[in-house]
Amino acid sequence: MRSAASEGDTRVIYRGAEADLLRGWWCGLDAVFKFRRPFIYRLKVLDDAIRRQRTAREAEMIHDAKRSGARTPLLYFVDPANALIVMQWVKGRRLKEAVSSLPPEGLERVFAELGGEVARLHASGIMHGDLTTSNVLLDNDDDKSDDNELTLIDFGLAIRTTRLEDRAVDLRLVKETLTGAHSEVASKAYAALLEGYGGEVGPGEVRAVTRQVAEIERRGRYARVE
Amino acid sequence: MGRFVVGIESTAHTFSVAVASGEGKILSDVREVYSPPEGSGIHPYLASLSHAKAAPRVLRDALLTSGVAEGDIDAVAYSMGPGLGPCLRVGAVVARSLALSLAKPIVPVNHAIGHIELGCLLTGTEDPLVLLVSGGHSMVVAFSYGRWRVMGETLDLTLGQLLDQFGRHAGLSSPCGMQVEGAASKSSRFIPLPYTVKGNDVSFSGILTTAKRLLDGGEGFEDICFSIQETAFAMMVEVTERALAFTGRKEVMIVGGVAANRRLAKMMELMTRRHSASFHVVPLRFSGDCGSQIAWTGHLAHSKGVTAPVEEALTRQSWRLDQVDVPWRE
Repeated sequence: MRSAASEGDTRVIYRGAEADLLRGWWCGLDAVFKFRRPFIYRLKVLDDAIRRQRTAREAEMIHDAKRSGARTPLLYFVDPANALIVMQWVKGRRLKEAVSSLPPEGLERVFAELGGEVARLHASGIMHGDLTTSNVLLDNDDDKSDDNELTLIDFGLAIRTTRLEDRAVDLRLVKETLTGAHSEVASKAYAALLEGYGGEVGPGEVRAVTRQVAEIERRGRYARVE
Repeated sequence: MGRFVVGIESTAHTFSVAVASGEGKILSDVREVYSPPEGSGIHPYLASLSHAKAAPRVLRDALLTSGVAEGDIDAVAYSMGPGLGPCLRVGAVVARSLALSLAKPIVPVNHAIGHIELGCLLTGTEDPLVLLVSGGHSMVVAFSYGRWRVMGETLDLTLGQLLDQFGRHAGLSSPCGMQVEGAASKSSRFIPLPYTVKGNDVSFSGILTTAKRLLDGGEGFEDICFSIQETAFAMMVEVTERALAFTGRKEVMIVGGVAANRRLAKMMELMTRRHSASFHVVPLRFSGDCGSQIAWTGHLAHSKGVTAPVEEALTRQSWRLDQVDVPWRE
């Protein structure tokens, strides 16, 4: 893919549901090539439009998030027509893979930090839109270390918004992911996340957004009517 | 000691009684389906009247054709919820009466879990990622730590409701899924509709509103059906794929009434191929609501001692599957 601009080896490092990630060199920089591959089950005209739109959206949102101070990869190159983004390679593993090996205190610290990160994003008017533990990179050499580096990735569903509802949708997805995939630590991790979130935006804001999360849950099909 | 469980289903359109054996054989499955007049949806009270009228015959036929003696019945299972209150109450009344007259325990079953367990039985899957798509549900679930966990779901309408409400708007009689599918297969003209994926959840209400407006504005029914299917199914398959990548399950299964749609099954199959996961669709005859899903799940639950005293064998209109402890799965 665009071999003229890359030098040396380019190899696949991750095959996600939506995109393939390749690592290689871009103008002398250690880079990740994110390519949204076509979905063969989707009608071509629809598929092309979605991939183009999400590529452009992701680039725009990574840029905006970066400007707001959130930790995201640096953007190097965007080609919406070919559904390609080239960005900075960031060290770390997916939080999803790290969760089970984190000691309890470490887990709480990481999620509190994530909460702060998300709060800063929200405060600057950006909703991530796909906040699962797959879309957070964690870089710590030692699981006990205090020195966690979190990076938010995958902004393909992000939007510019200041609505309470959208902020709550973000938090609800974290909650859904935690209960769905990390049930054993879900309540602890979520509580830590809210604490970190509150540390950035204050307790009043946390109350408002968690109330809205509960409201969204009540809207769920067959949710208990109380 | 008996070895058979009677299952009673009455959450919505269908009143059904089935008998299943502990080895997973369906010995009988008798159904009566309430159909509302053209252009209108299910009327809960009228449906419940239809169920009450059908109940004695359906029950008798199911017991007789199963060839199972009363003494060999282990338990009476019924759909406790979720569903339409009046319809659920008919099933609960029949279940309590039957259990009391046979002096057998009552096993309450969650209807959605019934779809999943029957699907696993019939497709031979063990720990699948499940796409449950029907008139009442559109969700992606996987089993983890004692419960089915929701990995993504609709935020408003279900796929069944989307197809049905659009069909009814066009004057068809409910359920309209098959007619919409038939019409869609005659077109290949795509009209863009709102494609709404939020995180791992989907929303279909924008599609319905736009589709109705297009029909009223003179666009072709078949073209709209085609576009609805292509858009809504792609959304559902997309979130299923994310959940598959996330959970790393090796089996994918579709269950529920909309599992009967061949275009959806085809799209799901194309998607799973990339993930070296096996793909399974519940057999057509058992995709819709039926007593078998309750009888079989009732057997599984009863084998782990799940029963309810008569006075607690009531109904729960709102009863999400992720609220149910599942002791028979590891």
